[in-house]
Amino acid sequence: MKILVLNLQGAARVKLFADERLENLRRLMDMGCFGELEGDPREWNILARRESHTLTLDEFLTQAEKDVAAFDDFAALQTKLESGVWDYCQLNASFSTGGGSADPYLDFDLRLGDALQHLSDDTLLAIIGESCFVLVASNNPITGYQDGSTLDLTPTILELAGYPLPSGIEGRSWVAGMELNRASGLTEDEQAMLRERLSGLGYI
Amino acid sequence: MKKVIVIGLDGFEPKIVEAMMARGELPNLMKLREQGGYSRLKTTASAQTPVAWSTFSTGTNPGGHGIFDFLTRDTKTYLPLMALSRYEQKNAFVLPKVVNMRRGTPFWDLLSAKDVDSTIIRIPCAYPPDKVKGRVLSGVGVPDLRGGFGTPTFYSTRKDLHTEQSEKVINVSVENDKVATHIIGPRDPKTKSDHKFDISIEIQKSENKIVITSQGQPDKLEVGLGKWSKWLKVKFKVAMMQSVAGIVRFNLRQIEPHFELYASPVNFETEEPLFPISSPQEYAHDLAMKIGRYYTAGMAEDHDGLNNERFDETSYLDQCRIVLRERRKMMEFELGRFEKGFLFCLFDTPDRLAHMFWRFTEPNHPANRGEDVSRYAKVIEEHYRECDEIVGEAMKHADDETLFIVLSDHGMNSFQRGLNLNTWLYENGFLALKSGFKPGESGDFFQSVDWDKTKAFAMGLGCIFLNRKGREANGIVNEGDVESVQSGIVSGLTGLVDSVRGVVAVRSVARGADVYHGPYANEAPDLVVNFSEGYRVSWDTPLGGVPQGLFADNTKKWGGDHVIDPALASGVLFINRKFRAESPGLVDLAPTILNALGVAKGGAMEGSDLLS
Repeated sequence: MKILVLNLQGAARVKLFADERLENLRRLMDMGCFGELEGDPREWNILARRESHTLTLDEFLTQAEKDVAAFDDFAALQTKLESGVWDYCQLNASFSTGGGSADPYLDFDLRLGDALQHLSDDTLLAIIGESCFVLVASNNPITGYQDGSTLDLTPTILELAGYPLPSGIEGRSWVAGMELNRASGLTEDEQAMLRERLSGLGYI
Repeated sequence: MKKVIVIGLDGFEPKIVEAMMARGELPNLMKLREQGGYSRLKTTASAQTPVAWSTFSTGTNPGGHGIFDFLTRDTKTYLPLMALSRYEQKNAFVLPKVVNMRRGTPFWDLLSAKDVDSTIIRIPCAYPPDKVKGRVLSGVGVPDLRGGFGTPTFYSTRKDLHTEQSEKVINVSVENDKVATHIIGPRDPKTKSDHKFDISIEIQKSENKIVITSQGQPDKLEVGLGKWSKWLKVKFKVAMMQSVAGIVRFNLRQIEPHFELYASPVNFETEEPLFPISSPQEYAHDLAMKIGRYYTAGMAEDHDGLNNERFDETSYLDQCRIVLRERRKMMEFELGRFEKGFLFCLFDTPDRLAHMFWRFTEPNHPANRGEDVSRYAKVIEEHYRECDEIVGEAMKHADDETLFIVLSDHGMNSFQRGLNLNTWLYENGFLALKSGFKPGESGDFFQSVDWDKTKAFAMGLGCIFLNRKGREANGIVNEGDVESVQSGIVSGLTGLVDSVRGVVAVRSVARGADVYHGPYANEAPDLVVNFSEGYRVSWDTPLGGVPQGLFADNTKKWGGDHVIDPALASGVLFINRKFRAESPGLVDLAPTILNALGVAKGGAMEGSDLLS
């Protein structure tokens, strides 16, 4: 699964989660899970701290020979997403300075809407704000409010995206041991639904 | 000409109209015939509402607009799909969009381009609505809140009730004259459960009524025994941050010994429709403010309720009258402010009513099973008189500079026997079942069909598709073999005799390539079966069933149909001007209307001006 991380440095939780105008973000919150993160917000991408070295998410994926890219603005990210050739993309946007926009939150939501147009179904999307997150993936069994440690987020992302977790990692994946959602053919329930939808026609 | 008014009467049957006029009935239509003329109107292959009205709209054969049947199939999965519109979602992260599958150019686009206003009420296959200069209210094709053609709910204290086709049954219990239950809303795609809206019912036995209390509008709704209630506006919380509004109405069937209540399919609400149903978007609600809440679903008449015997003919007639009355109000409101341009209003009720009451005109209909048919034998004719009155009302708005047209898209006929088309294909070696399966053991959706050995399959209301290599997922028929498979089916089915009755059930089989041409002809069925009067595809065929035996009696209350040989299913055409009467067809209306309003016909339009 591809991984897209939107790292919104300094984006306040109360704004992200409570502003009703952020339609795209709210839809994503409904689709996946979201919540508060405990710990140093700058450490969200740390997988493991070894004696001489700290292993981060992007570094781990680079070592796995994945197409990894980081961007500072939406326009460059958008071009990469449109190309379809990528495994991991990370946007680093600063909200603490406002980024020159009068309404950075609404601005972000609009740009998010554009970015979503270019994703494929097999994408994991993580939005990370100041001590908070939204996580969407088709196989994510967790919905609604979820809180946990900042350090647990990255292992969760990796596990959902189908990567083996490296040894010695610091956090613990929230979905460890859980059955992940699977795409399936037409189930009996879906057949019943299809029959119901069409048979109201009367002719059949 | 300054104005063109077109009144559509869906399924208005020429044989009935002609017989009634011969008796001096239908005075307004007779007047129209005298002023201008009357003719039967050639319908489309196949003779179905969405196909025919799309041809009216675009002036092309179905190959030019892409609607060939109510249903089509998914070439990847062989599953039936609604053919009229489609939900398209680019990926899981963005909202789905509704896309109209009727393509081509409707003539109101050409009017809009020349700055001519249009008011179009309940045109089929305009969902999402066409953008015009003027206004459009979508008709057939608008789903209910569950995304289908319409799912009613039946509440009962009886524990032995079986859920029939296209309905939900909720078993309830009465405690201290109170029932706590809910309205069923949209299905949640994620949890696969239904969203619910709680209602609480208080039974008032002495007054033969119930009061439904809820968070909806109104907060208390009365329903009298045997009566249709007013609308209840409900809201389903579909996600933490989203809710969806709908409207529903009830019919109280019984209080004792069993409590039984019918709830209509939940229709879109006009102020907050799930998807737009009008253009401009606020038009649907502006109209509701003028005339009151109205049915928004494409299939407004609750034929399922009658077909499943959840209520009787009288209640169905009452409900048809409600639909007719609200449509008439829409028409009168728009005619009242209509000054120039094009105005169209479709009345669906003649079609939906005749489907359900046809059997009463035929004492030997298998659905009657000894029932006394005399009580309802004249219902269709009575309804035709009401339609004539509506025509008379509209005619008042036609002056010297108005072209006034009344037409139907197809007629109506008897449906006594059904042909199991897939079983015929099986028996004749065109369709194979997986080893160990026999006809009758395979459910619908082609569940036991062996695609690796199947050359052709039937779906929808008389369509046959070849299982073509490169087109269907497990296609096996090579391009070079298409002709021989087609001829085999055509020669085998043409003149097929129903041995029980000793009459020909299939008059002919049309090849898609012969009857359809244009940009979307490649989506057409390979073959279309033209049935004789009294016949149709069986109930098991449209969704891909392979039942036992070739023919089956039609014992359902839906006893009339029109999806037969189009040559036997013509509609009617009345115009207040003399017109060319030799075989006018639905394709001729668009050029006629455009010309009357001084606009040149579109390049793809196949017909010609009937007035010249």
